[in-house]
Amino acid sequence: MYQPWTVKYKPKSLKEVVGNKEAIQKFVDWVKSWNEGIPEKRAAFIYGPPGVGKTVTVEALANDFKMELVEKNASDYRTEEAVKRFAGLASQYGSLFGTRRIILFDELDGLTGTADKGGVKAMVDVIKTAQCPIVLIANNAFDPRFAVLRSYCLLIEFKKPSVTEVLKHLKAICLKEGIDAEENALKFIAQRSEGDIRSAVTDLQALAQGKKRLTYDDVSWLGFRDRQENIFTVLRMILYGKTCDGAKRAVNMADVDVDMLFEWIYENVPNHFTDPHDLARAMDALSMADVYRGRIKRTQDWGFIRYVIDYMTAGVAMARVNTKTSGWTPFHFPERIQALSKSKEERSIQLEIGKKIKRKCHISATRASKEILPYLRIIFKNNVEMAAGIAKWLDLTPEMVEYVAESKEKAAAINKLLG
Amino acid sequence: MSFEMWAEKYRPKTLDEMVNQKEIVERLKSFVKAKNVPHCIFAGPPGTGKTTAALCLARDLYGENYREYIMELNASDERGIDVVRETVKTFARVRSIGEVPFKIMILDEADNMTADAQQALRRTMERYTETCRFILCANYSGKIIEPIQSRCAPFRFTYLPREEHDKYLRYIAENEGVSLLDEGLDAIYEVCGGDLRRAINTLQAAASLSKPIDAKVVYSIAGRANPADVRKMIDVAMKGNFIEARKQLREMIQKYGVAGSDIIRQIHTEIFKLDIPEPWKIKLADIVGEIDYRLVEGADEEVQLSALLAKLVEAAYEMRGSTKKV
Repeated sequence: MYQPWTVKYKPKSLKEVVGNKEAIQKFVDWVKSWNEGIPEKRAAFIYGPPGVGKTVTVEALANDFKMELVEKNASDYRTEEAVKRFAGLASQYGSLFGTRRIILFDELDGLTGTADKGGVKAMVDVIKTAQCPIVLIANNAFDPRFAVLRSYCLLIEFKKPSVTEVLKHLKAICLKEGIDAEENALKFIAQRSEGDIRSAVTDLQALAQGKKRLTYDDVSWLGFRDRQENIFTVLRMILYGKTCDGAKRAVNMADVDVDMLFEWIYENVPNHFTDPHDLARAMDALSMADVYRGRIKRTQDWGFIRYVIDYMTAGVAMARVNTKTSGWTPFHFPERIQALSKSKEERSIQLEIGKKIKRKCHISATRASKEILPYLRIIFKNNVEMAAGIAKWLDLTPEMVEYVAESKEKAAAINKLLG
Repeated sequence: MSFEMWAEKYRPKTLDEMVNQKEIVERLKSFVKAKNVPHCIFAGPPGTGKTTAALCLARDLYGENYREYIMELNASDERGIDVVRETVKTFARVRSIGEVPFKIMILDEADNMTADAQQALRRTMERYTETCRFILCANYSGKIIEPIQSRCAPFRFTYLPREEHDKYLRYIAENEGVSLLDEGLDAIYEVCGGDLRRAINTLQAAASLSKPIDAKVVYSIAGRANPADVRKMIDVAMKGNFIEARKQLREMIQKYGVAGSDIIRQIHTEIFKLDIPEPWKIKLADIVGEIDYRLVEGADEEVQLSALLAKLVEAAYEMRGSTKKV
């Protein structure tokens, strides 16, 4: 019978859990402290990347300490009511059969937006009055949604285990399965997993099950798992792609959406295409990708997204003809994204001033902020009296005066005249 | 020196005060006399008196309380179809109770209305002709849909002739006690090209420096008031520094809110002033034209314009190569 090795070789005891010794000790100490009465923090929040053993640890602990584990997944506590149903369970330390109880809310990341808002709030209420240990698990504890929740929890971070630790685990499995594995074959798998033990074990099973021997050649062809690669890897695949397919595949690996990926590419192309012809070709490809974005907007036909992707990935990759790929050029965060929030604010005050001008000058607010505001800036810089007169005439607020004057001192002088 | 916007202070109040656009003014006066106004399109470049003429006409027609009988809408701010459906319709269908049986709706910058809104407007114009007349002000009458054009009396406004322009600015300068030198006046005309609003704003900004207005002052004002230093950006690109050129572009768009269409128009003008081999100018114009078209189709002005900058970098690189060979 087929059984996933991730289940078959799941640690039954804390001793078998790979890595994170300190975090596990912290967790154990906290659970033990319940024996001396209710601790300050009635919940523990375990967080860390996928596949590093968070859930496994809780399960192993329950097993070691002979506790009753009540486990709930994201889908079970979408609403306030659903969470409150556990309130009863949480209000008693022991269960009917005398064993002690531990309540686990797993996959908290799965809570989505507003629909689950009540759920998080209800969870806080449950924790406040809990009579038994409650454990929360998520990849990212610092999601703003968990801000309140966090303050009631003991935070425990689980880190990626080292390659050596993963390797040890894989070796142990091979031994039990009677597989003679080359050390560097297992090392390859361990490295590629980037600390995700679950995926390492899954890979090992896919490659080695039923074999007597596992060699490096058996594993080296291993294709890319559709893991969400970090953005730099994705950018490298696109900006230095040799084939259209390779560049296009990068999109599926990015953990950002297409628009954000576009921004990353758009920001970084100039630094990585130094030859003028290559640069012009790459920017032209981005321009065409943008044309297709415009077509999507106009037609609302999202089918065109494939051409956006073609141009922004393969189009950019194929632009490289002359630029050598030597040396290491760093990647930059899209500056536009940072600037955008600021300029939004600026645009809004510009528009407010524009509206004031519009009332007096028979010109649209949009045009006023472009055509008249620049002159006001000059006047406000040079002539405090005239500025005050105009500010009064236009009925500008002190904030607007400060924005136009572009200097706190000048604005103060003008506002003083205004009284 | 008075401390309000001079462009407003010196805006003519009545048709008699309007010194320019004489033929147009005469026709408008005849409307006032007959107490009947057709739907009108006032088309022409900025600062030539379109809005002023509409306001003067209204004042002459309705008297001092003219504001009660007119509504001014700016299509650049309120360009959608909803505005036509709600605001315009509500205003248009209510009969006025004065001597003049209709009200006037002034639609400024009407060429910025969406096509949908224009279609809706066309029906509104037709239905409420009895109770409301429309004056559409636009830079380009070509952007107004045919059916509306055919319902309106067209008026073409042109830039002020040089003498009128000078007379007007001298009058303001004298009245405000500002010393405006001849070379300063020349410079204003050169910089503003007959756009009276811009000319008066430039004059006032120059006056705020509290010294005689010479050419140097005017140029410095114009330079600072026009953040879209497109020429500088082109020069940076032609020198091969794409990243800096894109930075300047970004600043124009994000900080100063300059429209992409304005930038590309200026690039097009500047290209023919560049010190490059003549055949290249037309090559560059072709590139500009292509991007101009994509600007209409695309979603992001900065992306399109920076693609254009990259082409300029490339073209300049090729030019350098070809001169070396020669």
